[in-house]
Amino acid sequence: MTILPYLLAVFIFVVGLFGIVTSRNLIHIAVCVSVCQSATYVLLLAIGYRKHGTAPVFGDIPTSRTVVDPIVQALTLTDIVVAVAVSALLLAIALKVYEKKGSLDPRDMAEMKG
Amino acid sequence: MIAMLSLIPLVVTLPLLAATVIGLVGKWLPGRGADAAGVGAAATAAILAVVLVVRTGHDILAYWFGGWRPRADGFPVGIGWAVDSIGAAFAAFVLVLLTATLVYSWRYMQDERYLYVVLMLCFGAAMAGFVLSGDIFNMFVFFELLSVSAFALTAYKIEETGALQGSFNFAVVNSIGAFLVVFGIGLLYGRTGRLNLAAIGDTLTSQGRHDGLVVAAFALITCGFLVKSAVVPFHFWLADAYATAPVPVCALFSGVMLELGLYAVARIYWTVFDGALGSFDHPIRDVLLGVGAVTAIVGAVMCGMQRHLKRLLAYSTIAHGGCFLMGIALLDPDALAGAGVYVLSHGLAKVALFMVCGILLVTIGDVDEVRLFGLGRRLRLAAVAWFVAALALAGPPFLGVFTGHALIEDAADKAGYWWVAVVLAFATIGSTGAIVRAGLRVFLGAGDREDALLSRQPSETPEPQEHPRLGLMYGVTLALAAASLAVGALPGLAARAIEAAHTFTDHVGYVHAVLLHETPRAPAPGAWKTTTLSVVWSLVTLGGTFALGFGSVYRDRLPRPVTRGLGAALAPLRAVHSGQIGDYVAWLVAGTAVIGGLFVVAIR
Repeated sequence: MTILPYLLAVFIFVVGLFGIVTSRNLIHIAVCVSVCQSATYVLLLAIGYRKHGTAPVFGDIPTSRTVVDPIVQALTLTDIVVAVAVSALLLAIALKVYEKKGSLDPRDMAEMKG
Repeated sequence: MIAMLSLIPLVVTLPLLAATVIGLVGKWLPGRGADAAGVGAAATAAILAVVLVVRTGHDILAYWFGGWRPRADGFPVGIGWAVDSIGAAFAAFVLVLLTATLVYSWRYMQDERYLYVVLMLCFGAAMAGFVLSGDIFNMFVFFELLSVSAFALTAYKIEETGALQGSFNFAVVNSIGAFLVVFGIGLLYGRTGRLNLAAIGDTLTSQGRHDGLVVAAFALITCGFLVKSAVVPFHFWLADAYATAPVPVCALFSGVMLELGLYAVARIYWTVFDGALGSFDHPIRDVLLGVGAVTAIVGAVMCGMQRHLKRLLAYSTIAHGGCFLMGIALLDPDALAGAGVYVLSHGLAKVALFMVCGILLVTIGDVDEVRLFGLGRRLRLAAVAWFVAALALAGPPFLGVFTGHALIEDAADKAGYWWVAVVLAFATIGSTGAIVRAGLRVFLGAGDREDALLSRQPSETPEPQEHPRLGLMYGVTLALAAASLAVGALPGLAARAIEAAHTFTDHVGYVHAVLLHETPRAPAPGAWKTTTLSVVWSLVTLGGTFALGFGSVYRDRLPRPVTRGLGAALAPLRAVHSGQIGDYVAWLVAGTAVIGGLFVVAIR
């Protein structure tokens, strides 16, 4: 088992965070949140990986075959559903901010401070 | 017993089902149809949850969806819920407050409302599911459901830029917190091959390892949930979100949502990590106590600088959140019981305070302390509710948050943390003193109209309602304010909470109850006596709160160098709360690194 996929997950997460911290565009931030979330998919799928495993669909393969872990795939799917909802909401808010302010810069959006 | 078990999922599915139906047909429902259906569903679920609390007793009820019970060797095949009395009580509290806020919304929300009712029901049901679940991924799913409903509710007044800012920051920061949790869950699953809390805990205990992976999973899950409970430095999103969400939504956020993150930290520590990391309870206690203390102090200080009432209450919630965390962090059943009782009283009081803000919004159309100066004089009942709730938060002897404070102080004293009582008193005086100050200015027109120390915020500009009908709103608000004061005096509550906390913190008992269906052994009867010391602390806090409140309406009369010096000293703290999402996420990363790093250093 190689450690590479785990490092990749951390790398993707950090890249997404860097994007959010430095971003000057709300849509870009929404995309960066999705990038961060992709890191969790990589991590989950890496955990479920089995060497020489195939897809865990037993319709046409003998039950003795090695398969990858179906649980983490279910978790990933659930995670994706959540991501869709969050992205939709963030993009809808970005759109509304643009309608009101004519700008997507988060600095123009921040009215409350202190 | 079987009938009892099948009742468990109804507590959550009933409001979810109602939300779905209202969402589908709401458009065609006449007038108040959606509101009535929403209140009905929430109230029914609340009653079921109360029945559940009574029937759970000292037991831990395991419910397996689809009848997929664990195999004879204890391997859990299905998804299970595990209900103990603290979980059931929390669910009941959530649903009672949901019902109260929906009743309040009946008159408060004016425009088209059926989607609002749908979101509120989803939000409440998800919170109830979250506390009843015994499966870590199931908890995560409910966590996301409640978060997404909460983001949408925050942005409900979509025509206001403030609401957009609040919701966007809230959504981004909390999503990243949720990703940290998923990372932690992934690591735990990779190590143990299980998702059931009891089964993960059992496997970790028998593996007996506390290597980097377990510590990393603990740090990630704890930090992820602490984002939801707005612990410093993860707290920035909270003030923005609370200041802009509709009042009934704020009330729920403050009364139960923040506490939910802390509940998760406690639940997961005792079910999952207590076996493997139990021998490191000392360093874990130090780290979490430190985080809680910093949160309590920062929240209280920020509270003193707010003139936007909802934002003021938001910072007060942060301060109390820090106190709850200290109660949990002592890793002691008595302190945990204290935190639980404290949450009840604080939640009721905070909901009442937010509801008073709502009454100010519909009658006068503002929530700014300085602009409202003296305008609240004619709202006598609102003033009564405001000061009764403030009194409950100050914790006079035997009333309000007193019992919770006293239990935490006693446990801290026993464990050698004398300073916890000082921080509790500081946080209470600072945050509640600010609430008293705002009340004096708004409702009595006392003191000065000028106050240079307060942060100016953009005004919310709702039109006040033309003929606001306040009867129902006053009724709910006053009832909750009175309940918040009275709950501290309930006889036997402290003893019952201590018993429940002993069941909650019994790692082995939980594992056996869930996986092997053994009835956990009944805890020793809880006994607790008020000590003189806690009465003294209570009087100090009470006196300090009202002295600070009365004093700070005149603080502009302090000599110039003093006010200027105070302003300059507080300026960096104010500047840190920049409203910029990039800054917030940078703080989140730094906070996770520091807290996680401390855990890694402490546990080896």
